[in-house]
Amino acid sequence: MKINLTINGDPRELECRPDESLRQILRREGYFSVRFGAETGETGADAILLDGRLVASEIMLGVQADGHVVETVEGLSPGRGLHPIQEAFVTVGAIQSGYSTPAMVLAAKALLDENPDPTEGEVREALTGVLDRETGYLRPVEAILRAAAVLRGEKVDPLESTLVRPLADFDGTADLDSDEPPLDLPPAALRVVPSPEVPDTHVVGKPEVKVDALKLVKGNPAFVDDMEMRGMLHAKVLWSPHAHARIVRIDDSKARALPGVRAVLHHENVPRVRYASGGQSYPNPLPHDQVSFDNKVRYVGDRVAVVAAETIETAEAAVRLIEVEYEVLPAVFDENEAMEDGAPVIHDEPDMEGAYDAVRNIVHHIEADVGDVETGFAEADRVFEQTLRVHQVQQVPIEPHIAIAWLDGDERLVVRTSTQVPFHVRRMLAPLVGMPVRKIRIVKPRIGGGFGVKQEMLIEDIVGHLALVTGRPVRLELTRHEEFVSSRTRHPQTITMKTGVNNDGMLVAQQMTTIGNTGAYGTHGLTVQMVSGLRGLSSYNCPNKRFDCHVVYTNIPVPGAYRGYGAPQALFALEAHMEDVAAGLGMDVLEFKRMNWTKVGDPLDVAAELGEGAAEMKFIPVVTSSGMEECVAQGQRAIGWHRRTDPEWRFPSDRPHIRRGIGFAMCMHGSAISGLDMGGASIKINDDGSFNLLFGATDLGTGADTILAQIAAEVLGTPVEDIVVYAADTDMTPFDVGAYASSTTYVSGMAVKKAAEEVARQISERAALMLDMGSPGDISLRDRRAWAPDGRSVSLAEVALHSLHQDQQHQIMATASYVAPDSPPPYAAQFAEVEVDIGTGQVTVLSLVMAVDCGVPINPVTSAGQVEGGMIQALGYGHCEEMVYDDGGRMVNARLGPYKIYRSDEVPRIEAYLVQTMEKSGPFGAKAIAEIPKDGVAPAVRNAIANATGARINNLPFTPERVWAALNATE
Amino acid sequence: MDIDRPRSLDETLAAAGEYPDATLLAGGTDVMVEVNFRTRQVRRVISLRGVADLSEWNGTRIGAGVTYRRMELGPIPALAQLARTVGSPQIRSVGTLGGNLGTASPAGDTHPFLAACDASIEVRSRDGGTRILSWSEFLTGPKLNALKPGEVITAVVLPEHLPARQEFGKVGVRSAMVISTVSACVMRDEEGRTTVALGAVGPTVLRAARAEEMMSAESHPSAEALAEFSRLVSDEVRPITDHRSTEAYRRHASGVLARRLLERCLAA
Ligand SMILES: Cc1cc2nc3c(=O)[nH]c(=O)nc-3n(C[C@H](O)[C@H](O)[C@H](O)COP(=O)(O)OP(=O)(O)OC[C@H]3O[C@@H](n4cnc5c(N)ncnc54)[C@H](O)[C@@H]3O)c2cc1C
Ligand code: FES
Repeated sequence: MKINLTINGDPRELECRPDESLRQILRREGYFSVRFGAETGETGADAILLDGRLVASEIMLGVQADGHVVETVEGLSPGRGLHPIQEAFVTVGAIQSGYSTPAMVLAAKALLDENPDPTEGEVREALTGVLDRETGYLRPVEAILRAAAVLRGEKVDPLESTLVRPLADFDGTADLDSDEPPLDLPPAALRVVPSPEVPDTHVVGKPEVKVDALKLVKGNPAFVDDMEMRGMLHAKVLWSPHAHARIVRIDDSKARALPGVRAVLHHENVPRVRYASGGQSYPNPLPHDQVSFDNKVRYVGDRVAVVAAETIETAEAAVRLIEVEYEVLPAVFDENEAMEDGAPVIHDEPDMEGAYDAVRNIVHHIEADVGDVETGFAEADRVFEQTLRVHQVQQVPIEPHIAIAWLDGDERLVVRTSTQVPFHVRRMLAPLVGMPVRKIRIVKPRIGGGFGVKQEMLIEDIVGHLALVTGRPVRLELTRHEEFVSSRTRHPQTITMKTGVNNDGMLVAQQMTTIGNTGAYGTHGLTVQMVSGLRGLSSYNCPNKRFDCHVVYTNIPVPGAYRGYGAPQALFALEAHMEDVAAGLGMDVLEFKRMNWTKVGDPLDVAAELGEGAAEMKFIPVVTSSGMEECVAQGQRAIGWHRRTDPEWRFPSDRPHIRRGIGFAMCMHGSAISGLDMGGASIKINDDGSFNLLFGATDLGTGADTILAQIAAEVLGTPVEDIVVYAADTDMTPFDVGAYASSTTYVSGMAVKKAAEEVARQISERAALMLDMGSPGDISLRDRRAWAPDGRSVSLAEVALHSLHQDQQHQIMATASYVAPDSPPPYAAQFAEVEVDIGTGQVTVLSLVMAVDCGVPINPVTSAGQVEGGMIQALGYGHCEEMVYDDGGRMVNARLGPYKIYRSDEVPRIEAYLVQTMEKSGPFGAKAIAEIPKDGVAPAVRNAIANATGARINNLPFTPERVWAALNATE
Repeated sequence: MDIDRPRSLDETLAAAGEYPDATLLAGGTDVMVEVNFRTRQVRRVISLRGVADLSEWNGTRIGAGVTYRRMELGPIPALAQLARTVGSPQIRSVGTLGGNLGTASPAGDTHPFLAACDASIEVRSRDGGTRILSWSEFLTGPKLNALKPGEVITAVVLPEHLPARQEFGKVGVRSAMVISTVSACVMRDEEGRTTVALGAVGPTVLRAARAEEMMSAESHPSAEALAEFSRLVSDEVRPITDHRSTEAYRRHASGVLARRLLERCLAA
């Protein structure tokens, strides 16, 4: 049927089916800024303006829009300029992955058209319909307020770092009782605490605009789905309805007979090749307990079969026509029960490889010892023990998994996919599809968030098989429901902490006994739990340590990598436990922790036992830089720490049902997997003195492309705009392990720096030739020129033209790679201020402050953004996100809303402090920052609840009901 | 799928009479979610968007097609309050009062308001004329209402005089609570007559009759009276234990919420 729409000012008559959503129609017409986020429209990525109002195009029929006026971001800045709202999003760093940036921009436009001078509250309200997983909404709100000011004709200041006076002495002692009033800075200020050890730089350390900001803010085609391919088929997967069952019979004849169906694949017609789906370095850790399609299903949402058809609707219809007969088996969901005698055996297949004790569902038994804990416990004055449980959550990238595969002209298999690990995917995919690596190309375009869930070869094998079988391009995009249950999640754990301590507060022995639930498959099961042990036992010095961990199979949807990777679980347990130990000893918690936490020069002894790349590593790394004291001092001041003992503040007299409290957690993470993570980069000069920078590192919205460009620009003496970045394409760029383990800045950054230094050397040589100098040694690069010591110079463009065209022609270029010898820990102090309603048990988090020592932040905006957004994600973990199941293992809240993630009007005040230290091993002094913001929020909130009410809660998350129950138990 | 796009109420009733199995589509925020989840098969749709008659709002007669956006900006305090808590701006732009009644979810946010003020629902059909049903006659069970095939909800009719003191609330709204456990609306008029309706804690919205009776007799409720009110509400609700929450907590939260809303009415 025909509908008439005015789209971005153009009257259009469009042909559509009556049941098509407006989003489908708009995307088909090339408005790629209108994106899929959820079947319910609940992420808001699908939002458009209809007659000037924000509406969800996902849940509106095209027909309903007939006769109306539609606006998308494409219409906001036709041509090459930017609308002031877009300009503001770019300049304040409001964009991370950018997947839902167009929707936010439209929400802002609807608001500002009606209300040119909104309050911050009104801006937050206007953004409530667009969920963001990355920014914590801080910078988007700031961008909209700024845009409003610009549109009103006011002037706004450019965003620059605000240098905050250090509070700790340089020898590392701080006045921990600092009760100075907090600094009065605007929310989006970039709070940088400088260190005198850090040398001056031109580009590094500056809040540079993201190199991909333009395409993201304009909604230009950039993501996997923003590409049209002729003859593309659509795939749909048949997922298991049972938590544990054998497939007795599968009959696909009716599905195949459906017109438009091009392939149906399942265990009977796909070769059985074992693999582990986690995107990790070769050789992938055991167990190799997966095959593309199995004759057994192990959780509700496991793969059974897949269909490729001409339309999504046909594929779905065909999926319903596949007849499967199951022999339903008993299932087990709890990690403790799974190890009991008589529990159903989840991996009983004979070709099962590499599990510790498959019959008892034990995938791994990990042990690590330093000293001897038993002696330690015997000698300690006091011993404390408590058991904690952390639950299962999902990463919820706003862009679900999506991949498109096709055969190119050379009949090589190309997969364009939303992945964090293109190079691992290529290597892991090859045996599954039966092709050599050389015949496979993986391309990662922009991706709409990953957070670890895309450190996996999750669906690439499916589209790969289908493209090979059909010879046609094949697209598979998970729905939000599928993303929840059939992708990856965070490992639940039961953790018992036991600590022996002397009365003066010195730790004597510390033991962490963990049972990690790795669900139906072991992917990442070993390494996540190893990181739990590593992080749980690295923060504090202690002569005797023990980690004892069982990783077990159950029938829950599969846990995998999630930003933080085992650390958030461990640090919740550790920091809750340490808080309670301090209370048990009657000590001030900061004093107690400070006495014990690792300082510069202290050994990281468990790292030698539990470091992933460290199988061979037998030396014990030491802490080389730490800004912990400064972090604590800054955080204490910012949160108003002294109030936690002030009864007038804690018991507000006008609201008798409210209790207030403040909590603290110390955090320590790693920067890359030492001895394992490797990244490569190559740089070449162009005629105009600009450079192509190619690397395999995978920007998933974090700003990695920008930071790496900044590093190159710093070395080459150019502005960032002269660096043209192309990344993460296995045919075009050097290898990189990918985006995980907080490695990109630290590892890939070093690779870029090395390559740039070699290019700089070649430029100097050429300049010396052009300037008739004997030796190039003294030439320096700055302001796009090569300078001789005597003040003469040539421009980089002249250098390029000379070397490419004029004399002794040579392509100035270099390739370098770097493997991390070390993993210097970033440190952070996390503070939380909460209000607890003792009537309902509801916790309201009022503010979160995190002061982080990430070495030298290469870009303070992207660094602050990592912290701001990371804290809000972490708050979801602690406070309200939870995968809930019925007795049969079916997730009952696989929908945003019932699965609650924070929205713009709910987030607390958030402040990030970037505390500089000079980490000599990192590029320009940098350490990592991406994951540490995930570590401290849950325990800090937990400790704040304890401060407010006395209730010490050992289970996540802090739902009203759980808190209420705890309050009643305390009374 | 076929689609009808009537332009007037008469055309709507004619279409609904002709195709009693057709799906009425107002804002679509419930229907389309079910369609996208494939839990609803839709063969024929009657789109109500173009029917201006349904969007009229005259004093106490509110058309079924009135959106949350308009309720937010409208003159009735509790209705505006509840509308502000619904979904997101996208949902409020298009979601309607009639749709909330059509879906008849036990958690429908307009229901506590309608129940607390004893609203009636006006339904019409080509063949059966107009029926006026009280809210309790209309909402018959979880996801069930009294609509007969071919009938269209045309309006909600409120009593001529609404108590000036009216408060709506949900436990957990706006602070990252896991879905609302309970919603409630409390009204109290000059004579002290008090009504309290609670959503999401029974098969349909329900009124706590004993609590109302007890509180209506109190001209200046004491702390004990408030506590008793809270206790009676907890007692009268009919929640269940499921995978999200226990019956005990839901009872408790109902009592706390109702009492707080009443306190706000008394303070007003
Ligand atoms: C993201 C999201 C958030 C939401 N949040 C909330 C919330 O906070 N609180 C809440 O209560 N609800 C919420 N809802 C549910 C929904 O928005 C409301 O129930 C809304 O009122 C439905 O109105 P609609 O016009 O969109 O209905 P539709 O989807 O068009 O229709 C809903 C049902 O009513 C029938 N119907 C519609 N109009 C009539 C009529 N005139 N006569 C007879 N039958 C009719 C339809 O046939 C259908 O069965 C949410 C939904 C979404 C997607
Ligand atoms: S742009 Fe907001 S979650 Fe990615």
